[in-house]
Amino acid sequence: MAQRTVAVASASGLHARPAKLFVQEAVRLGVPVTVRAGDKAVPAKSMLGVLSLGVVQGTEVTLEADGPGAEEALDALVALLSRDLDAEEALDA
Amino acid sequence: MRDDLLDPRAVLLHESAPDREAAIRLCGRVLVEVGAVAEPYVEAMLERERSISTYVGEGVAIPHGTNASKEDIKRDAICVVRFPGGVDWDGEQVVLCVGIAAREGGHVPLLASLAEILLDPDRAKALREATEVSQVMKELT
Repeated sequence: MAQRTVAVASASGLHARPAKLFVQEAVRLGVPVTVRAGDKAVPAKSMLGVLSLGVVQGTEVTLEADGPGAEEALDALVALLSRDLDAEEALDA
Repeated sequence: MRDDLLDPRAVLLHESAPDREAAIRLCGRVLVEVGAVAEPYVEAMLERERSISTYVGEGVAIPHGTNASKEDIKRDAICVVRFPGGVDWDGEQVVLCVGIAAREGGHVPLLASLAEILLDPDRAKALREATEVSQVMKELT
């Protein structure tokens, strides 16, 4: 089992927009990934699941995946969570 | 879910909208009418939606403003607007909009408790098919 723990960097945590970008990437990667925060675990491709974690900035989440492509998928998702996606939104606007 | 967020007057169950923008404007107007947000918040909801879809699954979208629009929020609140005929939401069919206005610190916990409710298929279905305001109040407060 591949596993990574990362602190969420987005200013407002893992809510609608950063959560959506995260879920889109998880779907695109096509590798089943589980996200853990506290005692909850949800599939990374479930928007409602990810939102239900209630992750705020700085919260550590653990990503887990198995099988072919697991390491690469986790690297990509960790890279995404390590960025402040809200700051990028401000730049876009 | 916090029980001071949803004013029964902010629940509309028999609406129709030609498109996503009209649906969001309606949600925004409801939030303005119950005194939760100032008028400019409605445009911020549209701006947010253009930036990324607020569709979350289960036929539900959660339109809300941009981070910059937080100052237009007078108090944390949600509204529930149901479109029995559905609204095309960038390829998804939306039957229920939960419009959200939440200030710093309130947004993430609010979303988490809403998501928790919608993850229960029976409760999500009850909300999608609600015809009485009391049914919505029961699920969301």
